[in-house]
Amino acid sequence: MIPEGTRYHLPPEAAARLDLQERWRALFASWGYDPVELPVLEVYDPEHPLAARAFKMVDKSGRVLALRAEFTTAVIRMVASEGLGEELHRFQYAGRLWLRDSEIGPGRLREFAQMGVEAVGASGPRLDAELLELAWEALKTADLPDARLEVGLPALVADLLAATELAAGPRSSLHAAIERKNIPELAELLADYGVRGGLRRAVLALPDLYGGIEVLAAARRLELGPAARDDLDWLEEVLALLPPGLEVLLDLGMARAYDYYSGIHFRAYTPDFGLPLLGGGRYDGAGTRYAAGFALGLERILEARGVPRELAAPQVLALDPGTARRLRATGVRVELAWTDDLEELRDYARRRGIARISGPEGEVSP
Amino acid sequence: MNRAGFELTVALPKGRMMADSYAAFSRAGIELPRARGERDLWHSGGGLAVLELRGADVPTYVDLGIADLGVVGRDILLEAGRDLYEPVDLGFGACRLSLIRLPEAVTPVRRIASKYPRFTQSWLRSRGMVADVVKLHGNVELAVLAGLADAVVDVVQTGATLRAAGLVEVEVLARSSARLVVNKSALKLKRDVIRPLIDNLRALAT
Repeated sequence: MIPEGTRYHLPPEAAARLDLQERWRALFASWGYDPVELPVLEVYDPEHPLAARAFKMVDKSGRVLALRAEFTTAVIRMVASEGLGEELHRFQYAGRLWLRDSEIGPGRLREFAQMGVEAVGASGPRLDAELLELAWEALKTADLPDARLEVGLPALVADLLAATELAAGPRSSLHAAIERKNIPELAELLADYGVRGGLRRAVLALPDLYGGIEVLAAARRLELGPAARDDLDWLEEVLALLPPGLEVLLDLGMARAYDYYSGIHFRAYTPDFGLPLLGGGRYDGAGTRYAAGFALGLERILEARGVPRELAAPQVLALDPGTARRLRATGVRVELAWTDDLEELRDYARRRGIARISGPEGEVSP
Repeated sequence: MNRAGFELTVALPKGRMMADSYAAFSRAGIELPRARGERDLWHSGGGLAVLELRGADVPTYVDLGIADLGVVGRDILLEAGRDLYEPVDLGFGACRLSLIRLPEAVTPVRRIASKYPRFTQSWLRSRGMVADVVKLHGNVELAVLAGLADAVVDVVQTGATLRAAGLVEVEVLARSSARLVVNKSALKLKRDVIRPLIDNLRALAT
C-alpha cells in the first residue's frame, strides 16, 4: 500500500515522463542552463515559504528536517551558500517534491515532480523575456501548442499597496481581495481603511486588468506613483523583447506572493484544463540579490496532454544472444527469448505485440 | 459527458440558489439549459452545460476546472478554502455565519458544533481562543440543547429557527450571500464569454 497522493508510474506513463524530462533537459541545455542536483532532505526552517505544508521528521541529533517542498528556495539557498550569486549563472533542475496537505485531485498529488530553470546573479528585462520565451518553448516541447502564458506584475500590486501606507494586516486583506478578484469586498475594505481618490481607483481597477496587451494602456491611465510606473516600464520592455508568435495574456491583478516576487510572475494555462502548468517569475532579493526562473509541473502537463495507453513493443524477439546483439547493433529494439519452447515464445510475442521472431538461422514464422 | 464540446460549463447548487442563479443568468443575457427530468444530473443546450451539485461540491468542481464557473454561498467558500476567483456578489441567498448559544450561557466556549469546522477553527485562531470543534451534518442547534457542545457556529437567515429553539445569536462571524466563482484558467482562456457575463451580473447586482 502506498500513501494517498503518491503514485506508481507504470511503463507507458513512466516512459512518457522520462521522455518529456529528457526533451526539456536538452532544450534547457541548448539555452545554456547547466544541471544542478539538490538534496531532498532540508533543515526545517520556519521562514521557508512552504514551511507549514512540508513533511517534517526528526534526525538522530534531534534536529527537525523537512522534505523538499519547492525548488526555487532550494536553488537560491544553494546559490547563497556556494557564493554563486556574484555573476550570472543559468541552472536547470529536476526532481520530486512533497507537500503534506495538498488537496488531492487531477494534477494534484502529495508527491510530485517538477523540472525548471533559474537564472541568478543578474537581472533585467532581457532575462525576463528569455525566461518567458524558454517557458513557451518548453510548452511546445511538451506538445501543448495551445497553451498560453499569462504574465502578472506582483511588484505593481505591492507598490500600490505600499502607497496606501496601511499596516501589514489591512494590506494583506486588500491583497487577498485583489487576488480573488473580489471587487465588492475590495471596495468595502478600501472604504473601511479610508483609502481615497486616485489610489482607491487604481487599487480597485487592478482585479479587472486582465486580457491582452490592451491592459497595459488601461493601466497607464491610472494615477500611479513613480514606483508603479517603473514596474510598468519594465514589463513593457520585457514584452517588446518577446519573439513574434508569443502573445502572452496579462493579468495585472495577479498578486500571489506579492511580497516575494520583485517583478513579473507568470503561469501557463491550456484549454479545458483548470490548473496552471508552470509557474515562475523574478524574485530579486529573496535570499540572493538577483534571481528569476520557472518550474514546470510534470504530472499536470502529462495530465493535460494525455499519456499514451501503450508503449510501442520491441520489434524483434531474438532466440539467441548473438542474434540479439547483431540486431541491436543495427538500431532495432530486441527482446531476448528466455526459453527454447517456440510455441510459448510465439504466444508471448503475440500477446506483447512483437512482430518478428529471429534466430541464428534467420526469421522464424511468428 | 464530454466537456470539451461546451463553450461554458456551469456548476450550480441544488435548491433555492439554483432557481435564483437561473434567473440572474437570464437577466445577464445567458439562458442556461433546463433539466429534462427529475433525475437529470446535468443539463445541456446552446453550447452550455449545467452541473447540478451539492453546494459544498461547487468549489471543488470549479477549482479543478471541471466547471468553468459556478454559484455558491460565501459561507461555503469560507469553509472550502479553495483558490477561486470571486468577482461578483450576486446578492441573493443572504445569511450570516454566527456563534449561537443558550441565553444563560456565560462560561467560556470549550466545544463548538458546526457544519463549518474549518471556518470555525480559523475564527478561533484569529481570536486567540482554544476550543474543540465537532463536525456535524445537520440540526446543529440540537447539539447545544442536547449538551454535545456549549456553542454552535451555523448559518442564520431570519433567526426564527433559533428563537423557536430558545437560542440566541451571540455574535455574527461573517456575512454571506451567493457569489459567482470562476476557475483561474477559464477566466483567462474563455474571457470572450465570461467577461461580458461578469460585467452584466455586476451591473445587475448594484
